[in-house]
Amino acid sequence: MTDERVIRVEPVTRLEGHGELTIRLGTDGKVRAVQFNVSSTRFFEKFLEGRYAEEAPRIAPRICGICPEPHHLASVKAVEAAWGVHPPAPAVKLRRLLINAKQYSSHALHFFALAAPDFLAGPLGEPAKRNVVAIIKALPDVGKMALQVMQFGQELAAAVGGKAIHPVTAVPGGMMNPFSEEKRDEFLKRAEQAMEWTERTLDLAKKVVEDYWDVVTKFAVVPTYYLGMHNKGALEIYDGKLRVMSPEGEVVEDFNPKDYRKYYGEYVPDHSYATHIYYRPVGYPEGIWRANSLARINVADRMATPRAQEALEEMRERLGRPIHATFAYHWARVIELVQALEEITVLLEDPDIVSTDVKLSDVEPRRGEGVGCVEAPRGTLVHNYWTDERGIITKANLVVATNNNIAGIEKSLLQAARQVFEEHAHESFSLPRPMIP
Amino acid sequence: MTATTQRAASRTKAKERARFEPRIVAFCCNWCSYAGADLAGTSRMQMPPNIRIIRVNCTGRIDPSFILDALYEGADGVLVSGCHPGDCHYTSGNLRMRSRYVLLKRLLEQAGIEPERVHLQWASAAEGDVFAQGVTDMVERIRRLGPNPVRRRR
Amino acid sequence: MTKRAAFAQLSSCWGCDQSLVDLHLKLLDVLPELEIVYWPAVVDYKLKDLENLPDRSIHFGFVEGSCRTREDEHLLRTMRAKSKVLVAWGSCSCYGGVQGLANQWTLKELLERKFLKAETITDGRIPDENVPGFKEDIRPNPDVVPFDVLLPGCPPTSDNTAEALSALLAGQPFDLPEKTVCDQCPKVREEKHIKVVHRTHEGKVDPERCLLDQGYLCLGFATIGMCGAQCPSVNTPCKGCFGPPPGIKDHGAKIISALGAIAEMSPEELKEAFPDPLGSFYFTDYAASYLSRLVGHTKEEEQ
Ligand code: SF4
Ligand code: SF4
Ligand code: SF4
Ligand code: FES
Repeated sequence: MTDERVIRVEPVTRLEGHGELTIRLGTDGKVRAVQFNVSSTRFFEKFLEGRYAEEAPRIAPRICGICPEPHHLASVKAVEAAWGVHPPAPAVKLRRLLINAKQYSSHALHFFALAAPDFLAGPLGEPAKRNVVAIIKALPDVGKMALQVMQFGQELAAAVGGKAIHPVTAVPGGMMNPFSEEKRDEFLKRAEQAMEWTERTLDLAKKVVEDYWDVVTKFAVVPTYYLGMHNKGALEIYDGKLRVMSPEGEVVEDFNPKDYRKYYGEYVPDHSYATHIYYRPVGYPEGIWRANSLARINVADRMATPRAQEALEEMRERLGRPIHATFAYHWARVIELVQALEEITVLLEDPDIVSTDVKLSDVEPRRGEGVGCVEAPRGTLVHNYWTDERGIITKANLVVATNNNIAGIEKSLLQAARQVFEEHAHESFSLPRPMIP
Repeated sequence: MTATTQRAASRTKAKERARFEPRIVAFCCNWCSYAGADLAGTSRMQMPPNIRIIRVNCTGRIDPSFILDALYEGADGVLVSGCHPGDCHYTSGNLRMRSRYVLLKRLLEQAGIEPERVHLQWASAAEGDVFAQGVTDMVERIRRLGPNPVRRRR
Repeated sequence: MTKRAAFAQLSSCWGCDQSLVDLHLKLLDVLPELEIVYWPAVVDYKLKDLENLPDRSIHFGFVEGSCRTREDEHLLRTMRAKSKVLVAWGSCSCYGGVQGLANQWTLKELLERKFLKAETITDGRIPDENVPGFKEDIRPNPDVVPFDVLLPGCPPTSDNTAEALSALLAGQPFDLPEKTVCDQCPKVREEKHIKVVHRTHEGKVDPERCLLDQGYLCLGFATIGMCGAQCPSVNTPCKGCFGPPPGIKDHGAKIISALGAIAEMSPEELKEAFPDPLGSFYFTDYAASYLSRLVGHTKEEEQ
């Protein structure tokens, strides 16, 4: 329509994936619509067909180079479920080490490279300054620490998975390669140092939240459903049950991931190649849910490790449960960063981690259907494969983590756009002086 | 497409097909089939003129990329002709070729290209007739399939 | 003097980007040499900013990913116009990448599976508002615009990217090595007699011996040696993600050729062993194969 103003943000930056933003404003200055246009997809669900299922864990990581480990593991779990295979316990521990290493590096990357620039350089800073490269230059201490935190996670992931980007070692029946004692010792030692950095990161996150209290508690606060994994109530990322929490904070569903199709709906918008996943029993858009760190923290009764639990209690004291503030994702992410490192330490201290009994040698492919579900840093990830009697994939359904959040992101953006364009709310927020001038 | 235009289109297709003269590249082993082809020629056996022969030392020397390249450059079919199993000058060149051929056919099929466009046959130096018959069959086979998609487009 | 650099992402997984970030502290040496004029993952410059740069004003343009959408192709052409030296960064860019395997189907079949028939879809439709539209086929980027440097890998290792960058910064050529993954592999090799092909999950791998000798389809022999044999070093077969060494026109043809020489199996056994040669032999470079190009012509014709 001609009487409309259309604002296009092309591309949306500091996000891994391809997206644009379209905001339509009426002549009355009202926000008509906000679209988050995810502008590409590569059809993995189709081209997995006809391949040996045991190769899917090699192909699927390429869905996302920032979070390939969750895809590698969801994929191998789906194949194992289809074939009725149970890997030895030490292999499962290695996989948990792998996914936690990724959780650790990915959360660090997200916090420092994607999110922190807004807070450190100020949301209104110059593009040339509002990025991690500039942070490295202006705040070399923080920058160096950020790089080392990411490095620890990525190098640990590479040590277990063979490569940090597109790991290769998980195979139906276990892991192709055991973990050596030398590496165990090396990373145990480095984990101590990493704990120090992690604590500092937690402090930084808390400071940022305090400084931006107005923004956090008033801007883009959108109640939605939440989806996340837990193990007997504790926040879990490798294997557990899935919970759905209502916007009111009630646990409305607690189910085994293999039944996901009962609870998952996939809505296809006109304007995005990424579909919108929602809570099916309630319908769309009422059932829009969000996943990722804040969702996991909302649905979990507690963290799985002590230091993270302390951090969670502090957050809940200030913001309650459930937390709908989109900006609280950053805080939640850092709490998970703490849990990831604590889990890594526990796993490295477990003598099983250097066991050589990490792979079955009598795995038999068979006709079947299997669901593999893990928590990726961006949210719950489901791979669902059907195989024929030779173990060749005949059909695949994938629900990638990010798609659980697209509708929620759109909701947040709509809310934010209204606040900015209609209410000019941002002008009354008190913002701190940027740490990078 | 309406039913009428569809019918018209298939009629033109049929006509095209009738006019279509397949172009076939044949890789022939120097020690057997090339001599066989020669024999077929000198003894004036009936053989379709659609074929370009490339002489190779042994079918074992044919890299599968030669065959794919020929198709890509517009050949409608590729015929490989070598010594009978057990008769290869280099012991097992032809068996290697046979393994490659099996995999290549499977690959063509998976990619959506008629695997019959590539064919492997055995013909000794004395078997001019076998060679000639192979070529005739190949031409017929390709005539049924129609032109190579690359050529159809050019 | 700093050099202007741009990093652009077409349809991709962003792993090449992550692998650059994985230089970690070494980034502190590299970054000061560069003035970043476009890098959506990290810096907030928009497409307009890139489009507004003078032609050939970027010293090094790195292109990750391949053209799945029309928007990708626009970005690729823009990067070509603005860059002095254009680098095909990663196997997606050099060869089409893993998504090239989708060329086995028509776009219609792909769209149907994803947007109309997926098990969880409740109301299928093919999105068409404010989205760019798809290309029928994936093609290697060098088929679309000329490139100055190829840097394959899925992803290239952090060191690969650093080496290419420092060669560029020093004004030196960056040539691909002739060696293969086998040349970099620590495993002990013997004369090859493959009597049976094992699937990756089968049996137990002897960590000392060459995987191919043990019957696992390890493609190190047909794959350019740049990664340091990452996969075989952890007892996992190489899937050829870096593509073939320079001069090899078709990765699958090369693999078939070698298998013909070393497999001591009957035609039936061979057929049985490779139900998916396309996926097995062209992990990240099917779009660059003769066959994909041939079939691409047919698809265009049918359109
Ligand atoms: S080459 Fe590999 S790592 Fe790089 S973008 Fe493509 S799929 Fe990702
Ligand atoms: S085939 Fe594989 S295991 Fe064997 S030497 Fe080559 S890279 Fe190493
Ligand atoms: S070993 Fe092969 S599959 Fe693994 S990274 Fe290297 S080239 Fe890629
Ligand atoms: S010599 Fe004729 S096929 Fe080998």
